[in-house]
Amino acid sequence: MQDQRDAHEASLDRLHRRLRTLCQCTMTFFHAESEQELLQSVCEILVAGGEVRLAWIGYCEDDAEKLVRPVAQAGSGLDYLERVETSWGERETGQGPAGIAARTGKACCVDDIRTDPRFSPWRVAALARGYASCIAVPLMTDGKSRGAVDLRGTLNLYSAECNAFDESAIEHYTGLAMSVAYAVTALRGHLAEDLAHGVTAVRASAERKRAEEALHQAREELAHVTRVTTLGELAASIAHEINQPLAAIIADANACLHWLEADRPDLDSVREALAAVVKDGDRAAEVITRIRGLLARASVAHGPCDLARVIGDVLPLVRPELEQHGMTLKMSLAPDLPLVRGDRIQLQQVLLNLLVNAVEASREVPPERRQLIVHSTVEYRDDGRWAVIGVEDFGVGFREPEVARMFEAFYTTKPGGLGMGLSISRSIIEAHRGRLWATANVNHGATFRFALPEMR
Amino acid sequence: MLPTEPIGSIPRPAALIDGVRGFAAGRVSQPELDALYESAVKDTIQRLEATGSPVITDGEQAKHSFATYSIYGLENTAPDGMPISFADGHIRTFPRLTAGPFRYKTPADVYLGIAQRYAHVPLKQAVVSASALSLLYPRGGIRSYSREEYLDALIAEQEGEIRRCLKKGAHVVQMDFTEGRLSIKLDPTRRLLHSFIDLNNLVLERFSAEQRKRIGVHTCPGADRHSTHSADVDYAELLPSLFELQATNFYVQLASEPDRKRVLTMIRDRAKDWQRIFVGVIDPLNPRVETPEEVRDRALEAAEYIRPERLGTTDDCGFAPFSDDTSRTRETAFDKIRARVAGTALASAVLGLE
Repeated sequence: MQDQRDAHEASLDRLHRRLRTLCQCTMTFFHAESEQELLQSVCEILVAGGEVRLAWIGYCEDDAEKLVRPVAQAGSGLDYLERVETSWGERETGQGPAGIAARTGKACCVDDIRTDPRFSPWRVAALARGYASCIAVPLMTDGKSRGAVDLRGTLNLYSAECNAFDESAIEHYTGLAMSVAYAVTALRGHLAEDLAHGVTAVRASAERKRAEEALHQAREELAHVTRVTTLGELAASIAHEINQPLAAIIADANACLHWLEADRPDLDSVREALAAVVKDGDRAAEVITRIRGLLARASVAHGPCDLARVIGDVLPLVRPELEQHGMTLKMSLAPDLPLVRGDRIQLQQVLLNLLVNAVEASREVPPERRQLIVHSTVEYRDDGRWAVIGVEDFGVGFREPEVARMFEAFYTTKPGGLGMGLSISRSIIEAHRGRLWATANVNHGATFRFALPEMR
Repeated sequence: MLPTEPIGSIPRPAALIDGVRGFAAGRVSQPELDALYESAVKDTIQRLEATGSPVITDGEQAKHSFATYSIYGLENTAPDGMPISFADGHIRTFPRLTAGPFRYKTPADVYLGIAQRYAHVPLKQAVVSASALSLLYPRGGIRSYSREEYLDALIAEQEGEIRRCLKKGAHVVQMDFTEGRLSIKLDPTRRLLHSFIDLNNLVLERFSAEQRKRIGVHTCPGADRHSTHSADVDYAELLPSLFELQATNFYVQLASEPDRKRVLTMIRDRAKDWQRIFVGVIDPLNPRVETPEEVRDRALEAAEYIRPERLGTTDDCGFAPFSDDTSRTRETAFDKIRARVAGTALASAVLGLE
């Protein structure tokens, strides 16, 4: 009877001490300023409580080896943790209490380290340090609750006595581990989680910006390729445009040589011929300058842009092509066209593309329809004045269903064409906050227009 | 010759420390305080040059602290931010941002400009990492100024600061990353560390590979007074992630490590081929001045693990990262730096690098 009473009192005393220890653990939740401090304090309090000889907390590594990495420890025989390896994977070192608790999410108790086969990998080291029984309880949050972060680990306690962890101990320590997990989550919340969210958002934004820049650069390069291709199509005409002044220069130079050989050179004629040489040289140089501008892989430079000048820059490049195909050019330009904000070379490219397309469309039609009209107008809209440039031809035109597709990339009706011209032109105009569109003419041909807002 | 560089700070002269206190109490005027700063910078640079150090700093004489120099005096900060506990029990409290927008008040290039008036050898410039300043943003958030907006501004500020330092001709810009090791204490899962690395990489990625050759990262357990905040964190927790930073030069505290060979093995295994490692051969917390022979031996020990063309020497940490730290003397700091320079020369001779 006395023995029973003594055992009962001892049990009560043990329970009393454990509850006091758990209460002290709870207090540390409110004082700990860092996760490490919290975990370490819990281990130290548990050992100081007298029920356990060693307490350690391990976090599960989510790597190939699936190690349970000790992050806090206190008690006797701490070198035990340096000597043994604990895993939460399926291999042998994952079959101990920590591995089982981490995998199953349930407490795992080893009542007698000497005999329990699950503990065989660590038995010798554990017995050498006086551990007789142990328990591992899961330290987990599922990351689903608001503000929580994923946490997977175990609280591991080792006693010098066999059968030290009864039902109530399992229940108490499981509850403690849940509270520790909650406290860890709360502590981590403001630092790791908030910062991770912030950094992720900033990185996503940086990557989006980088992708946009790459896309922009790709567009510029494609635009350049398209410009070069268009100029390639005009190569023969451009060569003619340069050859003409060169031929005149040679003729004038020969005349000068002839005059200078005379006993009394006709200097007035020489002077007149040399002036013509300079003029023709300037004309050839102008053509080359325009071509070089279009061929240059310069980055886009938006600035004040006079569309009348853009027209003036481009027409000399296509004029020989028009002549070659017997086309007549008419102009109808508004005198008060507003300045727009844009990249002159890109806008030249758009107009050049429209003109070349118009020539293409007019090649096969009867001579009387081989006309091209370039017009500019000013439109007054709610948001201010807009400059509108149109290129009208009387060529083969297009059918209404084609309108939707003709601005798509790689859509072409020209044999050997890239099908990029109109697509690039539209993206250029849209990048200038403008609009490019096409309409079929009532009788023959088509009109392509682009409109750009006045520069503010 | 193996390259050798200081980390940054030198204890301030007593007159300057008194002057700063006097200024706070209203006894010293701004021009008087500026003159004290200027004088301290000039003297520090002269004495650093006298040590023979091929690369010097301004000793951070005018910085309030290595971590808060750029924000010190900002009206939209309060002094009650995150506490950082040191092993000896003292606490340094980080400021807290109270409102946006965020801008640096005194970026590091301002200090560099002043130092350049006096220096005759290359100057390196330390900057605080973006990750350290990320701790400025309060837990509860700021109304109408999100964390993302803050981080965006912070990254832009640091990019500008580094870019201007490079443009002004800094020999190298060193990002102080002492909170890397501390982060593991705060969050053993290392999520915080990974966020820190990611954030700093967002800054570093804005520079070309060529520019990054002149950018470095310093790691240490945060020396202050006679203590550190995170020396108890195993380097094994930090180093694998540290070398993910897109910097070229790494200034790694090593002299005070209990097991240097273990750390060197980790560096050998984890550092990228293109990264240069400056190993700490001087322990600023130890009042005893190392001999050149000790330094030589530490450098040679490191050379067994890191190829000499990727190796350099440095101090474990600054000698006074916080301006009011008087636990070391200027004389000791200069003597230790002189020993580092001499010892590095000895090691270079042994390695045939003269």
